[in-house]
Amino acid sequence: MKEYIILIGNYGSGKTELALNFALRAADAGKKTEVIDLDLVNTYFRLTDRGNLVKSKEIRLVSPNFAGMNVEALSVPAEVASAFAGDWDTVIFDVGGDPTGAAALGRYFEDFAELPPGSLTVLNVINTKRPMAGTSERIIELMRDMERYSRQTVSGFVNNTNLAKLTGPGDLAEGYEIIKQASIETGIPVLYTTGKKEFLDAFLAEGHDPKYIGTPMAIDTFMHRDWDSFTRFGL
Amino acid sequence: MALTLMKGSEAIAEAAIRVGCRYFFGYPITPQTEIPEYMSARMPQIGGTFLQAESEIGAINMVYGAAGTGARVLTSSSSPGVSLKQEGISYIAASEVPCVIMNVMRGGPGLGSIQAGQADYSQSTKGGGHGDYKLVVYAPSSVQESIDLMTIAFDVAEKYRTPVLIAADGMICQMMEPVELPEMIEHKIDYKKMPWAITGEHESDTHKRAIINSLYITVEELDELNERLQANYRKIEENEVRYEAYNLENAEIVVTAFGTVARICKSAIDDLKEEGINIGLLRPITLWPFPYEAVHKAATQPGVKAVLDVELNAGQMLEDVKIAVNGDQKIEFLGRYGSHMPTAEEIYDKLLQMRREF
Repeated sequence: MKEYIILIGNYGSGKTELALNFALRAADAGKKTEVIDLDLVNTYFRLTDRGNLVKSKEIRLVSPNFAGMNVEALSVPAEVASAFAGDWDTVIFDVGGDPTGAAALGRYFEDFAELPPGSLTVLNVINTKRPMAGTSERIIELMRDMERYSRQTVSGFVNNTNLAKLTGPGDLAEGYEIIKQASIETGIPVLYTTGKKEFLDAFLAEGHDPKYIGTPMAIDTFMHRDWDSFTRFGL
Repeated sequence: MALTLMKGSEAIAEAAIRVGCRYFFGYPITPQTEIPEYMSARMPQIGGTFLQAESEIGAINMVYGAAGTGARVLTSSSSPGVSLKQEGISYIAASEVPCVIMNVMRGGPGLGSIQAGQADYSQSTKGGGHGDYKLVVYAPSSVQESIDLMTIAFDVAEKYRTPVLIAADGMICQMMEPVELPEMIEHKIDYKKMPWAITGEHESDTHKRAIINSLYITVEELDELNERLQANYRKIEENEVRYEAYNLENAEIVVTAFGTVARICKSAIDDLKEEGINIGLLRPITLWPFPYEAVHKAATQPGVKAVLDVELNAGQMLEDVKIAVNGDQKIEFLGRYGSHMPTAEEIYDKLLQMRREF
């Protein structure tokens, strides 16, 4: 069955990283995969900066109309419609990290509504180490705003708590407690817990309630948002 | 130590709030718009004032007004916007009131680009506006340092009653790093320490009438202001120079660089160290007052055969490096224009090439 995954969540939660990881997994499993970069807000550290990586895996990437890295005049390309018309197994939407960014998704409300039941998953990616996501109240407030602007309903949380290069073994557990609280308050399940393999394995060994872990998924890092990687590898 | 993963722009805004800034006036421009965006959400939560001005010129004059009351006030912009603020900055300097100005530099000249740049070095350090004035200019090279310098910037601004500029660049504001924020402090205006601050009230036994002004009717009065300003600048030059010395011991070449670029240079220096090649870095943290003595000392220490200045501009700090070195060492320059960030490999290759030519 076709699967559509929408990734929402605030800036720095790791949406773009997860979009790349989901896409590469799908492509490696032989699925025909398309990734839609719908982030019209951010102009640095974009999924489109990883265009060559995506192309090397024969994943189709749709980027906002983009004049060049020196200006911001981003607009939604007509090509996004290919997500609903093309013969894809997996389509992943990477959306801008605030209600304004999520508004770009609202444009496709009718297309999403016509998808076969069960084929759409809207994931709210959470990194509780980010200042706007440190409590369940804040997470829920931001989620409700993004749902309203995007005209979508969140299917589940993703615990992607990290401190970039300084991520430690306790970070996923800290995120687990806060997201568990948000899950209890909203009834929205935790669908994934993601992180670098070493931290994920350590977290899983701690014996937390699987109900609030969801599917564990080890991820690779492609987006060099931190200094040391940036100064070595560039954007 | 509680670490938070923060984008540079958010961290800068939060740091200003925590050290007592309760007034922010600004106008959006990439790549610093997240600073006013953050302030617009945060200031109302803590009883502060955020105001999006009608222009950069409006914003800097609002800063001028708020600064005259002794309150801690910040404005932020990026290169073209900071150009617009120059007249106001000159007035603030002449009126001897403290404030902090962020310049998140982007590529120039003109509208330039939204990517990182360092081509406002001369504007920042040589007086971008009119008249004999100086700004204390800090150049952070990490998100944490931007936070730490915010505390220093407000303290120095008040101590010397002068505008202070923090010259960051687009990369610092857009980068995310784990950081530690300072504790929230309550900044109370102490009129005993700030008798120059206006209160909006009639003169009383405890507070004389204060006037914030930059117009001096007589030659003598203007001379007096200029003498006072210059004496103040000499004191700042004496007391406030900051720099980072990195791996200078047994260095064959000394690299001079500031901000983001200095950090890229560090990566190249670390790589060369693994090959057994010692390269030092002298990173000015204050662009003004410039660390002339430290640069001269590093450039002429035994074993050093050349200086390499690396900048994201056509060679603006290079002029100060030349003044510092004073002809006592060979200087080479590696520059990229704004929005074209050099890689650690390019710097590494340039250093190796210089070594071959010794």
